[in-house]
Amino acid sequence: MAADVYGGSGQTPADIRKRRTRSGAEIGVYAFLFFAFAEVAIHLLTLALDHQGGVTLAVSEPVATSFSRPDIVDRNGRLLATDLEAPSIYADPGIVVDRDELVEKLATVLPDIDQKDLLRTLSDRSRRFVWVRRGVSPKIAQKVHDLGLPGLSFRYELKRAYPAGKLAGHVLGSVNVDNRGLTGIEKYIDDSVGVDPIHAAVLSTRPPVRLSLDIGVQHALEDELGDAEKRYHTKGAAGIVLNIKTGEVLASSSLPRVDPTWPTQALDNKHLDRMMSGTYELGSVFKTLTIAMAFDEGIAKPDTMVDVRQPLEVGRFTVKDYHPSNRPLSVTEVFTHSSNVGAGMLALQAGPDKLESFLRKFGMLTQLKTEEGTVAPPQLPPKWGKAATITVAFGHGIAVAPLQFAAAAATILNDGKPVHPTFLRRYDAEATDEKPLITKMTSREMARLMRLNVSGPDGTGKKADVPGYRVGGKTGTADVAKRGGYSSKSVISSFLGAFPMDDPQYLTFIVLFEPKGTKETHWQHTAGYTAAPVTGRLIARIAAQLGVKPMDVVASQ
Amino acid sequence: MRLLNVTAFFFAIASALLLYGLNYDTRRLEAEVHAKERIAERAREDIAVLKAERGTLTRPDRIDTFARQLGLSPPRVDQFVDGREVSALNERQEGSNGR
Repeated sequence: MAADVYGGSGQTPADIRKRRTRSGAEIGVYAFLFFAFAEVAIHLLTLALDHQGGVTLAVSEPVATSFSRPDIVDRNGRLLATDLEAPSIYADPGIVVDRDELVEKLATVLPDIDQKDLLRTLSDRSRRFVWVRRGVSPKIAQKVHDLGLPGLSFRYELKRAYPAGKLAGHVLGSVNVDNRGLTGIEKYIDDSVGVDPIHAAVLSTRPPVRLSLDIGVQHALEDELGDAEKRYHTKGAAGIVLNIKTGEVLASSSLPRVDPTWPTQALDNKHLDRMMSGTYELGSVFKTLTIAMAFDEGIAKPDTMVDVRQPLEVGRFTVKDYHPSNRPLSVTEVFTHSSNVGAGMLALQAGPDKLESFLRKFGMLTQLKTEEGTVAPPQLPPKWGKAATITVAFGHGIAVAPLQFAAAAATILNDGKPVHPTFLRRYDAEATDEKPLITKMTSREMARLMRLNVSGPDGTGKKADVPGYRVGGKTGTADVAKRGGYSSKSVISSFLGAFPMDDPQYLTFIVLFEPKGTKETHWQHTAGYTAAPVTGRLIARIAAQLGVKPMDVVASQ
Repeated sequence: MRLLNVTAFFFAIASALLLYGLNYDTRRLEAEVHAKERIAERAREDIAVLKAERGTLTRPDRIDTFARQLGLSPPRVDQFVDGREVSALNERQEGSNGR
């Protein structure tokens, strides 16, 4: 009966008490959990609010996307280009109080600023971000800061710096204001190595790009070319030092030099990289290729006699020698006396087809590509007839970039193994096993002729000799093509040099544009008096740097 | 059953506390890492500037001018001597000193 009082469910008062206490504990637990969750929610909210600042910042920033680039170093790890943090100035037109005052005062610190343009952009108050000047020096930034103009702010960006100044300016190339490569090795880095997009000034973590250049040799080359420019009043000069065994370019320069910091400077014709971007009729240095062909095709031997007494008649033209000989010359003498008639006759004997295929084999007829950029395509004779064969034999009627010629000449001296010029440090060059283009015998014979041309009593390259270093070479004096024909008053004088000739390691090629004769040169402007002595002075400076052991002077002769 | 509930309850509380502790620790460590990273970043920037400065100061045209002012010039051929000759010279000198 008593059980009915409690609803007939069979519960006792003890049960109910128990349930009440349990519900009290449950409420406690729920309350605790509720507060715990509330606490977590509050935390989440604060976290979200904390990060909101970062989010809005990112939204306003994509305008300032820039790139971080790896350093560029020379073959010995010496710095040529690096990224540095530099302040950039920007304006918020919405906060600028007095536009005219701002522009006027700013012009006192940045005199070259476009005042009208800045006034116009500042008048658009809907914009919140306008660049005023990017990548200024910390000193300038401080001066602008000291002006105390409202609306102007600074942010740090990466700016490319070239610690060595104009050194190797053409090779290095340049970058734009966003730090992207435009020309030269800088462009190669963008295309093949990689750069990283950044929103703040974060330095690149990529390993430096190691070039084949040696800045010591590069400086010596630039210095000697500069000296030649002054001595012979040239209208420009260019030079290259190439490792024959590996194809590495140790130095390459074209005067006037360019400053990589001012890329616009490199755009005019005067500042062209004449080593790569210009093609020239190089003249007699080409006989190196003609005579190598004659040897390799078995047309002639060094002592084969060639009758050079009569000038060669080709249609309207007559090919004569600079110093006509009154006796037949041996092929060795054709080389050392630089006889146009002799070279022309050897080429005629081989025929146009053989000459063309020989030059094609050496890559002289196709466009060359290097890391610095594409080399200017060669200008070839329209038809490989008799006339073209004769003129090409002594370097006329064909115009190539000096670098392309240097690579072909290096191939001849490298036992015929093809030399591919590169601006990057190579570690595996010795391992490449390409088929030689000419026999070792021809290569050795050419090296001997080149040495004889410098050491012999009647060689044209005597002034390039450096006692002890066994220099060999070939001169080239080409008349410059002017309107209505060639002018012998203005010439391109060049010297192809190599050393040490008992086992050629390094090749130099110096090209002087329109040198003038001086008292020192006995009023001669030919290569033997201009480009050859420049090569001699250059080799005397760089041979020791390149680790070439000098030989006893008497033995080397 | 009750014992299990109570244990689970305390376990939950304990792990919640532990979690909070860890959370705060993590944040503190994170802040520390950020601070260290900032220091490292500043050091990297300083290194970049110093490297560039060294590059400017040691550029060959500058050294060339100084070297020539000091009367130095590129080495001449006659300044190179075979290593064996030098050691022979040393031996001779040492021999004469000993006497």
